[in-house]
Amino acid sequence: MAKDDRYLDPTDSVAVPRKTAPRPPSLDGKVVTLLDISKAKGDHLLDRLEELLRERAKPKAILRRKKPTFARPAPDDLRRQILKESDVVVEALAD
Amino acid sequence: MPRTTRRSSGPESQADAIEELYARGVTDGLPVVPPTLRRVEQAIAASGREADDLIALVPPNYGRATVEKIAVNAVMAGCRPEYLSVVIAGVEAMCDEAFDLHGVSATTNFSSPLFIINGPIRKRLDVNSGVGVFGPGWRANATIGRALRLIAVNLGGARPGIISMSTMGHPGRYTYCIGENEEENPWEPLHVEHGFQLSESTVAAFAGEAPHGIYDHKSRTAKDLLTTIARSLEVIWHHKATALGDTLVVLSPEHARTIAGDGWSKKDIQRFLWELLQKPVKDLLPGRDGGEGLPEAVLTRFQHPETDETLVPKFRAPEHLKILVAGGTAGRFSAVIPGWTFPNGSNLVVKKVRIRE
Amino acid sequence: MHDGVFFEDQGLPTATVISAEFVKAARAQAEALGARAYKTVVVPHPIQPLTRDEVRVLADKVWDEILARLTHA
Repeated sequence: MAKDDRYLDPTDSVAVPRKTAPRPPSLDGKVVTLLDISKAKGDHLLDRLEELLRERAKPKAILRRKKPTFARPAPDDLRRQILKESDVVVEALAD
Repeated sequence: MPRTTRRSSGPESQADAIEELYARGVTDGLPVVPPTLRRVEQAIAASGREADDLIALVPPNYGRATVEKIAVNAVMAGCRPEYLSVVIAGVEAMCDEAFDLHGVSATTNFSSPLFIINGPIRKRLDVNSGVGVFGPGWRANATIGRALRLIAVNLGGARPGIISMSTMGHPGRYTYCIGENEEENPWEPLHVEHGFQLSESTVAAFAGEAPHGIYDHKSRTAKDLLTTIARSLEVIWHHKATALGDTLVVLSPEHARTIAGDGWSKKDIQRFLWELLQKPVKDLLPGRDGGEGLPEAVLTRFQHPETDETLVPKFRAPEHLKILVAGGTAGRFSAVIPGWTFPNGSNLVVKKVRIRE
Repeated sequence: MHDGVFFEDQGLPTATVISAEFVKAARAQAEALGARAYKTVVVPHPIQPLTRDEVRVLADKVWDEILARLTHA
């Protein structure tokens, strides 16, 4: 085939396979982080989830954290902090 | 030359290549120039860079924008080889953290990166900064803007309706690239304002909506003219939107002359517009004159918002009103381009074009 | 999606709540990041015009699903 009949790929696939975390049997004794992505109304949802967690599960602690903006991934510091201090995460609310 | 891309054994004719590239979903819907090995190599050579040089990771998918990948998209967009250095600077600008391409590419809002070229490279590449500046007819403007768009989609993942969720989109998402009309600019051009030398060339990225026209044929003083512009800026986003950030005010040469003729600097313009663009709390209440208005968190600061006269500025600071001069020398028209400016949203970013010596 | 994919990859079970209009975007984003299996918890769109109480009702509706997403009970 002539050199000019080949063309190059304009895309780049960077995906390296990511893992899914192992699940605990229940939330009893777990530290649950409720992560607000900073989009309006997400706090109302998380407020109610916090109440439900207290009523229906027995978490060791519930931590409320907030991203500076929904428009970007959480800053590295916040990610590290959440990893260090929590057992599970609920993030809300992207709409 | 080291290769970073898979070569596909292509179809027999260029026409088939155009169809195949469209079918693969890597175009903007218009025909593209098939990125043959020879064309890509010519563009890389003209940039004076190595094919494997990594310029940036393009959010939100973080595809690797190597010189070669940039060249493939630039060729597809119809760029001449010598445009590649400008496209590379544009990639650096839109992938800068402060620009937040992640948000700009994923949002339901309107905005699209607008690229503004400054410096001597405008003349060398015949970048239009004059008559019809936002319109068609100039290959550099048309294809550099298009190349950067293709890169945001093909390397960044901003495919419309999949990751790019813009409700309306806008026509600038085909291409959105202008030069500043430095020759008709009575003040320092944009890149000099941002700390570059007049002799350097730069590309600025700005996340903007479509240009919104302002007509003023009668004003003969800076104050009159800028009052018209301020009142036109009042309604962007919506008439009660506040706390906005970077927004472009593109003055036509005739308007710029009127303002500069009264001895006003860019800072004077920014200050004047910012001050005029304030409204009392009582006029910004949600549910009065429309459901939109001040956010709850702001309202709670006022005991009796319905009568409160405290002024709330439309823009967070005067510096967010970015002044640019562009367009033809005839016509008393200017344009404002609303940005994507949540407090942690997109900011205008300027990068230097590195030209092969 | 970036945060959820990151946390899962680092061993932290995560439930990401999104509105129905963003299911396709979320799936495409997770896939582009290498997390084809990433699942979200979906509430009806739109959210922005809702009152506080209307949003709270949504939390009650998705509680079971969130619990199921975070545990293997």
